[in-house]
Amino acid sequence: MNLHRQMLPLLALALPLGLAALPAAAETISELEALSRTSAAPAGGINLAHRQISRGELTDALATLERVLINYPQARDAQLLRASVMCQLDDRAGSTAEFGQLRGRGVPEQALDAAIRECDSLNRQRNAR
Amino acid sequence: MSRTCKAAVFAATLAACIVPAAADAPPQVGIAAAMLNRVTIARGGAAQMRPAVLRQQVALSDLVETGARSQLQILLLDRSTFTVGANARLSIDRFVYDPAQGRSMSASVAKGAFRFMSGRPSRSANSSITTPIASIGIRGTIVDGVVGADAIAIASGERATGGARNSDPLTATLIVLRGPGANTRGNVVPGAITVSAGGQTVALERPLLAVYVPRAGAQPIGPFALSLSGLGRLQGLIFPALAEWRLATLPAPISNAPMPVPQRRQRPRGGLVGDPYGGDMGGDMGGDMGGGPGSGGMIPSYGAGIPSLPSMPRGTASRPQQAPPARTATTRQETVPANEPVADAPRQQEPTPPPPPPPPEEVNTPSTTSVAPPSADKSPPSDKSPTSNYNAPGQAPPPHTTSGKN
Repeated sequence: MNLHRQMLPLLALALPLGLAALPAAAETISELEALSRTSAAPAGGINLAHRQISRGELTDALATLERVLINYPQARDAQLLRASVMCQLDDRAGSTAEFGQLRGRGVPEQALDAAIRECDSLNRQRNAR
Repeated sequence: MSRTCKAAVFAATLAACIVPAAADAPPQVGIAAAMLNRVTIARGGAAQMRPAVLRQQVALSDLVETGARSQLQILLLDRSTFTVGANARLSIDRFVYDPAQGRSMSASVAKGAFRFMSGRPSRSANSSITTPIASIGIRGTIVDGVVGADAIAIASGERATGGARNSDPLTATLIVLRGPGANTRGNVVPGAITVSAGGQTVALERPLLAVYVPRAGAQPIGPFALSLSGLGRLQGLIFPALAEWRLATLPAPISNAPMPVPQRRQRPRGGLVGDPYGGDMGGDMGGDMGGGPGSGGMIPSYGAGIPSLPSMPRGTASRPQQAPPARTATTRQETVPANEPVADAPRQQEPTPPPPPPPPEEVNTPSTTSVAPPSADKSPPSDKSPTSNYNAPGQAPPPHTTSGKN
């Protein structure tokens, strides 16, 4: 018993030494976990994607939406936003195909047409350069 | 020896044991950020594959595999992502990342379809992906690829590949640059890749350009513009759940007369999930670069002529249609452990969305912000996003470098 009592302070010293050797990535891994959690449902993922788009993080936004679609493939808003992001990334064929896939699948026509018009406008600006 | 001395020796030994063990552990390079059905991981060279759980950390040299109708997105520390479809196998072999300096990553894809998206732009980025017969050098890129029989199935529909004859069904590799294009917006750089095989290197610098390597030792075929049909098939492999949903929700025909139920497209050899992109381009664009992607007649209309379905209320994910059906959600929550494959749902005659498997359960990462998959008898996901854990923009990650062995 006495031995254990004497060991306690030493153990308290030894354990932090061991923990200190763990990778220093914990905070960043935590960030990744937060991103994953936030995109665990369509609403959160779409909101996150919008914020990423506003910051110009287009590939991050695309990744976020694709996380959503892995488990919620029927999330039409995520599909529509994804097609728009692809357009912004200048993946014209990909975005066109994605927009085409949404027609007649329950996406509000108004929203789809608006997104397509915006993409067309962007492409016209690109072509005019 | 006094008891105090014994205690000191014991404690020192304990510390010595802990430090090397931790130091020898392979560095964590990312997490399984989203997954569907069966995903397994073998820790750093271990023979036994163990079921992965959502948000499980991925370390260097971990071997990651997906099962049938499965999918995984690995989110790496530099925000690069690896998305793999069904029946894929990959590992991260090297990863060095310092936000101030740059990154270097190399990964191996042994089989299956994948999508890699580079993370944050950095001063120096040097990433590569190897397949059994080809090496892909990456610069700020979204790249899709497939290794195995599915690569042959897609390539055989492309004119440029000459029918993909003399291809190895185990190692044939198809690589497609997806972007960003030269006129991209945002804080990203235009993508470019090189594909090396058989002693030759081919550069791809425009979205939708593809290269096909039929077998070991063969030189790359291409670059050629992948047909939309081929692109659709590839997307169906990388995103199998989305492809299934799209097959099940084919738009109604224009005519009012009774029409036959849309048939699933004949699977080409290799067992593709389907062609969610519909229109059969027949690979006619293969080899015909024309004006490049997006510049000519290769872009079809945006589904013109297809009647619209009844308008739905705008905004968003709170619509009931977006909630995963209760069948699998409830079943899985009650009886099926996370990441276990879910039995196929019988396909209905009506083109209603098939019940996709719900998100895997979070097993060992308790969190107050995780969102359980909604069931039919519960209200759909709220529009309030669980974003409390998300770090605000401009909050730079701490400098961090992780490097591993090859």
